[in-house]
Amino acid sequence: MSAPALIQGIYDSGVAQWMRDSLKAMPFIESLHVLAIATVFGTILIVDLRLLGLAGMRRPFSVLSREMLPKTWTAFVAAVITGALMFAPNAITYYGNTAFRLKMLALVLAGLNMAVFHLLTARSLNWGDNAHPPAPGRVAAVLSIALWLAIIFLGRWIGFTKGYDFSVPEDVQFDFAQ
Amino acid sequence: MFEFARWLGSTKLSIAIQSTLWLTPLLQAIHIVMIGIVFVSVLMIVLRIHGRVRADEPFDQVWRRFAPWLWSALVVMALTGAVLIVSEPMREAKALSFWLKMLLIAAAILSVVGLRRATAGVAGPAVPAHTRHAAKLVLLVWILIIFLGRAIAYDAEVWGHLSLGRYA
Repeated sequence: MSAPALIQGIYDSGVAQWMRDSLKAMPFIESLHVLAIATVFGTILIVDLRLLGLAGMRRPFSVLSREMLPKTWTAFVAAVITGALMFAPNAITYYGNTAFRLKMLALVLAGLNMAVFHLLTARSLNWGDNAHPPAPGRVAAVLSIALWLAIIFLGRWIGFTKGYDFSVPEDVQFDFAQ
Repeated sequence: MFEFARWLGSTKLSIAIQSTLWLTPLLQAIHIVMIGIVFVSVLMIVLRIHGRVRADEPFDQVWRRFAPWLWSALVVMALTGAVLIVSEPMREAKALSFWLKMLLIAAAILSVVGLRRATAGVAGPAVPAHTRHAAKLVLLVWILIIFLGRAIAYDAEVWGHLSLGRYA
């Protein structure tokens, strides 16, 4: 199945139709999405600040990381589900939207950064658990914070792209909407 | 109130913010980042009260770790929120969600201070049951604040005839 056909299929699905027809679904799903991403960002920030040696230094990294990761993942799954529910009713518009594509790219990069760190860096490093985090850990932390900030900004930016905000006239040309 | 909102929306400052296209999404993004810091700080304090995280640390230490982040992020949140209100005052004035949100924020701040008082000096993992229940309630209030914040954009859809739009 080609990508446009898949997108069309998502757009035509029952869930998408239900989201389009229901007046109250969107604000509730969007609120859950904000709650989920707030939790993802906040819990990741706790881990990243520990990696940067800026906060939480009393706790060994491995303990802190084990404590936070399940919360991050739970919130991330909630963000993906609510995000998919927001995507479906406008799938075709989202698919062609630059801000949306950049957000997905930033998400993939954040995932790669996390995978590289947990699978390679964290395992190969021999850092006594309370030691000041080594450079690769600090780099991963800075990348992680920057990418998640970008994801949040791009997510909000999508809503300001032509055709999404009802207060924006359709004939206004935004230079960033291209 | 609507008079004031209409006047505020017509000021040069408000129009300058409205006409700077990238400013509103940037302010909203900063606002959401701060929600993340505030909400997770409250979450960590509440989870500690329930002994679900950092049960080995005295409560005062957990509080000292998260309270400065909570209060600082709350200030930035209030500032970005204030600019967003100035940029579109009528949108907020006629949203029941906005007024409920302001009320709940006051309640939420007081309730966090209350939690702090209730847990001062608690060193072990055990916290009295009524404090644990209160902590759940505090978390629920912050979740409701996030819902109401998003609902401002959908006030009529969420509240129907209760939305204040018809009085404007």
